[in-house]
Amino acid sequence: MKISLNILLSLIFLFPLPLLSPLLPSSSTPNDNAIVSLIDQTCKRTPYEDLCISSLTSNPNRSRAAGVKELAGMVLDSVLLNATDTLAFTRLLIDRTIDPEVERPLDYCAELYIPVVKFTVPQGRDAFYRGQYKFAEYCLTDAARQADACEKMLPGSAVSPMGDRNRIFQQLCSVAVAIIDILSKDQ
Amino acid sequence: MDDATSKSFDHPYTVLGEDPSLVIPPAESRQRPTKVYFWILTSTVFLLSLAGLIVRENPNRAENSIPAAGTAIPESSQDNVRFLPVGEAEGVSAKSYPSTRGRLSFNWTAADFAWQRTSYHFQPEKNWMNDPDGPLFHLGWYHLFYQYNPDSAIWGNITWGHAVSRDMIHWLYLPLAMVPDHWYDIDGVWTGSATILPNGTIIVLYTGDTNEAVQVQNLAYPSNLSDPLLLDWVKYSDNPVITPPTGIETDEFRDPTTAWTGPNGTWYVLVGSRLNTTIGVALVYETLDFKNYTLLDHPLHTVDGTGMWECIDFYPISTNSSVGLDNSATGPEVKHVLKASLDNLKLDYYAIGTYDEGNVTWTPDDPEMDVGIGLQVDYGRYYASKTFYDQNKGRRILWGWVNETDADYDDLAKGWASVQTIPRVVTYDSLTGTNILQWPVEEIESLRLNSTEFEDVFVEAGSLVPLDIGNATQLDISVEFEIESTQALEESMLGETESQLECSVADNRTTLGPFGLAVLADESLSELTPIFFRLAKSNGSLKTLFCVDETRSSKATEVFKEIYGTVVPVLDGEKFTMRILVDHSIVESFAQAGRRVITSRVYPTEAIFDKAKLFLFNNATDLNVTAAIKIWQMNSADIHPFPLY
Repeated sequence: MKISLNILLSLIFLFPLPLLSPLLPSSSTPNDNAIVSLIDQTCKRTPYEDLCISSLTSNPNRSRAAGVKELAGMVLDSVLLNATDTLAFTRLLIDRTIDPEVERPLDYCAELYIPVVKFTVPQGRDAFYRGQYKFAEYCLTDAARQADACEKMLPGSAVSPMGDRNRIFQQLCSVAVAIIDILSKDQ
Repeated sequence: MDDATSKSFDHPYTVLGEDPSLVIPPAESRQRPTKVYFWILTSTVFLLSLAGLIVRENPNRAENSIPAAGTAIPESSQDNVRFLPVGEAEGVSAKSYPSTRGRLSFNWTAADFAWQRTSYHFQPEKNWMNDPDGPLFHLGWYHLFYQYNPDSAIWGNITWGHAVSRDMIHWLYLPLAMVPDHWYDIDGVWTGSATILPNGTIIVLYTGDTNEAVQVQNLAYPSNLSDPLLLDWVKYSDNPVITPPTGIETDEFRDPTTAWTGPNGTWYVLVGSRLNTTIGVALVYETLDFKNYTLLDHPLHTVDGTGMWECIDFYPISTNSSVGLDNSATGPEVKHVLKASLDNLKLDYYAIGTYDEGNVTWTPDDPEMDVGIGLQVDYGRYYASKTFYDQNKGRRILWGWVNETDADYDDLAKGWASVQTIPRVVTYDSLTGTNILQWPVEEIESLRLNSTEFEDVFVEAGSLVPLDIGNATQLDISVEFEIESTQALEESMLGETESQLECSVADNRTTLGPFGLAVLADESLSELTPIFFRLAKSNGSLKTLFCVDETRSSKATEVFKEIYGTVVPVLDGEKFTMRILVDHSIVESFAQAGRRVITSRVYPTEAIFDKAKLFLFNNATDLNVTAAIKIWQMNSADIHPFPLY
């Protein structure tokens, strides 16, 4: 009885709080201009500025970006999303193709991307959040290596069946490494 | 925990067959061995035979063939064997050749020693390593553990070193996994194996040498299975889980294997030992929980005269596909390989046979080629090998320890000793049906840089062909030889004359050999390591020997220079093929797609850095060969500490 009374009182007391949130001081969340500025400053220090900016501005969580650390986390999310997409796309291509000459390199690429999606990038992200920045960078570099190996296997025709997906992925990995580097240096 | 039941073993008396391998000191059968006597005896035989081979002279020297050594390399007598090899006193296999304190060391420079370090083989940054332990794949990483002395470049203070790799080539060093910190392993955390249970749990069983030098088996497991690096390990609170049973010597009981399943959820594990000092035995333990064990009343297998079986390995192999099998696999198209490291000979032997699930026994396909008396895993400097099932790519992978063949004091001076072979995929040779095939993992190809190819190279009898490839110390070579039908060959095949089935030295010219490659050779051939085929008629048929001749590999006198070799089956229509990995002081040579393998350690003094060259040669007196060869320059594997923070 006593317990449920406490709970009831807590609920009544706390109920209006969410309604008051606009009145609460915005904790540490910068406004939009500050975020844009942060993204700009950070992406300038990466090898693929435009890719960095577009990746971060399109991230739905960008409003939570308080500093470079959050940006790094966001780019890592992009890397995983990108790898997952690329793998799915590759599998789709494999399903659709009947030419074994085309299928073989695609199979090889899928084999490369599977551990990237399953292990490498998630482990890199975990390592990052544990503060093991070098481990995280190792994973990203390794993931980029797999994309490179995939690209090398694809037939060198005018238009690669995977488009520029491998290239973009490698660049995204470089961006992630660069941002983590910034964090390491600024520590 | 103590399986107190005393067991006695009825062992069938196995008749030993003829050992077909070559140039190995004969095993001495003995009543009551003391290790020192044994070592003096075998070392004497070995030294005398080596001296005998080198001194042989050959008058029929063609101009361009490999010239015989001007003077025989003087061999000192058996006063070198005063000192026990490291390890002996502990009751484990010797971890070095008998001490060569009697011999003068070559005046090595720091650069010479640095050159000896391998570029793409696994070795720790410094100090001593021996047996590979608990290899496994987990969450995207291949793990290698290894016997490691963190304090010195000779055996002792043994811990489990640890390294990981995504591809079994680019290794990253991690902190030590286990150190001697409990009474049951205070004298050494020795060899062991990992088992991955169906639910993903990893357990490790390893031998601990106790504070009273008793060999016991202990259980350990990762503290956090979701850590992809498996950094921390926990030792079971109630160790040891297995202690030496009655009737088994307490210092001849070690190296638990990976477990496999039996009926009703039981698991089986093997521990190696010996009976009556001469009978090698694989003892079987049964367990449900890996904590409580029962010794079965009969061993898996025994072979008389083979002595102590160290580092037993037992695994299934598919006879109709090249796909690897999990340790518990069975079936009509499955055979089982039983392998043991013979303490007496420091050699790894194996046999293919059939596993009887009901009786938990194993029978070799050919009793004349039983474990310890038939085929060797590798015919060179190679020991303590261990396989694991790579569930990542569905392969059976083989690791092997390659000790140094220089002197203990060289190792202390240079600060390190031992390497591991490049991991090999193991498959059944369905063409011969009598052996396994070993081949370097394909991931090694990622190290290939540029290649040079030579086709249709005619190498006539008594000639030498230099191959201009630039750097010749880090290579991946594939070569195939076709022999020309000559009168000598016809006569050999038809005629009566039998020749001696012996590798001998490369400058010993016989009608049908040797022909092959000379690696780590300098321009003037003052140093060279020939790897060759030699054909000879024996028992009515033409046989092919596959050999590595180290006798002129180095001018240093304190290093051991062996001649390794074996007969290799060459089937109708097959060319003579070799794959050779050259990596500074280690050379791995594979004949006939891995049908026979020879691992070699060499320490040239001249044929190093840019002075090392590569030659094709044909020293036969009456046989021409045509060679096709492709040579890749190999990159470094850049093995370094794991970048964590």
